[in-house]
Amino acid sequence: MLVKMFIANLKMTVRNRQSLFWSFMFPIMFTFIFGFFFGKNASIGNVALINQSKTPLAQTIEQALNDNNLFTIQKEDNLDDTKDKIKKNKLMAAIVIPENFGDLEHEAPKIITVLYDPGNSQANAAITGFLNQFLTATNYKVQNAQPIFSVSEQKITDKNLTYFDFILAGILGLSLMNSSIIGVGVGIAQYRQDKILKRIVTTPLPSWIFIIAEVLSRLVINFFQIVLILVIGTYVFDAHIYGSLWAIFGLALLGAILFQLLGFVIASISKTTDAAQGMATAITIPMMFLAGVFFPLDSLPKWLASIVQYLPLAPLLRMLRTVTLEGNSILENPINIIIVGAWIIAALIFAIFKFRLNEE
Amino acid sequence: MTQVIEVNNLVKKYNTLTAVNQISFQVEKGEIFGLLGENGAGKTTTLEIIEGLRKPTKGQIKVLGHDAIHRPQTIKNQIGVQLQASAYYNFLTLKEILELFASFYEKHLDPMELLEMVGLKKKANTFVGKLSGGQKQRFSIVASLINDPEIVFLDEPTTGLDPLARRNLWEIINKIKQRGKTIVLTTHYMEEAEVLCNRIAIMEKGKIVAIDTTQKLIENAKNPFEIDFEVDNLSEEALTKIEKLGILDKGIGNKSNTYELHLKNQSAVNQALAILHELNLKSLLVEKATLEDVFLELTGRTLNE
Repeated sequence: MLVKMFIANLKMTVRNRQSLFWSFMFPIMFTFIFGFFFGKNASIGNVALINQSKTPLAQTIEQALNDNNLFTIQKEDNLDDTKDKIKKNKLMAAIVIPENFGDLEHEAPKIITVLYDPGNSQANAAITGFLNQFLTATNYKVQNAQPIFSVSEQKITDKNLTYFDFILAGILGLSLMNSSIIGVGVGIAQYRQDKILKRIVTTPLPSWIFIIAEVLSRLVINFFQIVLILVIGTYVFDAHIYGSLWAIFGLALLGAILFQLLGFVIASISKTTDAAQGMATAITIPMMFLAGVFFPLDSLPKWLASIVQYLPLAPLLRMLRTVTLEGNSILENPINIIIVGAWIIAALIFAIFKFRLNEE
Repeated sequence: MTQVIEVNNLVKKYNTLTAVNQISFQVEKGEIFGLLGENGAGKTTTLEIIEGLRKPTKGQIKVLGHDAIHRPQTIKNQIGVQLQASAYYNFLTLKEILELFASFYEKHLDPMELLEMVGLKKKANTFVGKLSGGQKQRFSIVASLINDPEIVFLDEPTTGLDPLARRNLWEIINKIKQRGKTIVLTTHYMEEAEVLCNRIAIMEKGKIVAIDTTQKLIENAKNPFEIDFEVDNLSEEALTKIEKLGILDKGIGNKSNTYELHLKNQSAVNQALAILHELNLKSLLVEKATLEDVFLELTGRTLNE
């Protein structure tokens, strides 16, 4: 019975082309979008360079700017045109090197100007930081001086981590949450509306077999979603994954089970498919922003962070990141697995008492 | 005759609404038993309580000797259920759905044989969504036979079908009967109940107002005879004479010159015919009362109003 039901579910999932397409398109889209923003070769944007000087120093600066990997340099001639482009957000900022800059003569200009839109101070900080560093070194050279004080940067880990690595774990959690909560919640509500559940109840098939078959067939799809995200993340955008793949898959599928249970909770309280859709959205959207998918919870106000750290997705992401970023064990901070376990038990108890295939 | 279903003092209440009110009846092995009544009379509720889908407020039900209320699982292998307006899986073929449902039961029939019985063999590899209304309904009925059940429950099997598809379904239901199955069906079509059912319980507002064999229900009508006639300018004199003999309904079907006369017995029919003979009739038809007339007498209204 279980095997037949499981195979039938898989067949239906594969044949429902539209739904299948979206269950894979969604994670692919997210990985690509964030990959282009923050993955390898990601730059802050295009920065104009107006170089009016022909001195060797000006040439060296231009070369250094072209070689940087923070932003992309685009040569421009006309100052007014460039200002206009910045206003229209076609360019992030502009660097103006005045005529004769770099001549050691007294009257020659000594200042490089950075033009930027005040709405984009992040770009300005990156560009001025870069130029300052370059010019300080040049100043020392010209004055034949040696720096006395300096900063030495040391990473706490020797691992090379980017923001994209941080967000990849978030995309994993987000994709599984969306496809499981919405998939189960809306799918089961649809079965109920079509009276398929009622029809099942007239047969001797035990409810638990129906539910297990549903969960298992969805886990198969989840497995391929995880593979897809990890493959695109690592091969296309050079994400770094340090932990064991077993732990990552185990955690992700554990999360999928938790979210499917939440889907069953939704299906047991919503009377129609529309209601289930609304409820699923009301749960997934806030969780997406509050559980640390895109940014660490530390950036939230303390009181809010102390609450949202218990959302089902939050401990899951913390554990995923412990594994993917630090290569540590899931159990490093056992409170996380305890929170996930508590959610699973709570959702399971609710579903056992509230979820009925057949409702009067 | 052995009784396969016994319902005793069944009551179902939803808050203040009493959907089923103290009903009792038996269904005998091998018969087609009909629950007839308008929408909301409690037919489907009654059926679904027997099938184990709903819990009754009060009463006892025995299906094939088992307590259907407290041990519904024990009878599920021996009954087949067709639900009112139920859909099947969208992305499985007819054959696959039957095979899936077959796996739920201890024993089952061959899916292809069943599809052939209802003329859907060619559609075996089609999705349900691609079927016409009549084909869907035929599939829904044949799906209830997959476990070779003793009793088949059909809830409004022909609702929403065109007359041809309906007749086609009647033949299928008769075929099921010939296989020795007991069939319990609900309907609000008088004609359907009259053609198909051996015995009928007429339900009205949660109660059974009449229960008997179809033939006896009609014979025991207060006015088992009916004369339909059409005449222009019926004189006052003739009208009073005729009205003394029976119940006269005027203008059926928006025609002011047609009449329906309901009569108690043969002699009343003869007298009426004698009077009508004197008139310049455009048409005349003498017939037996139908189930619809009985229903009208019992409930004071027509169905599908």
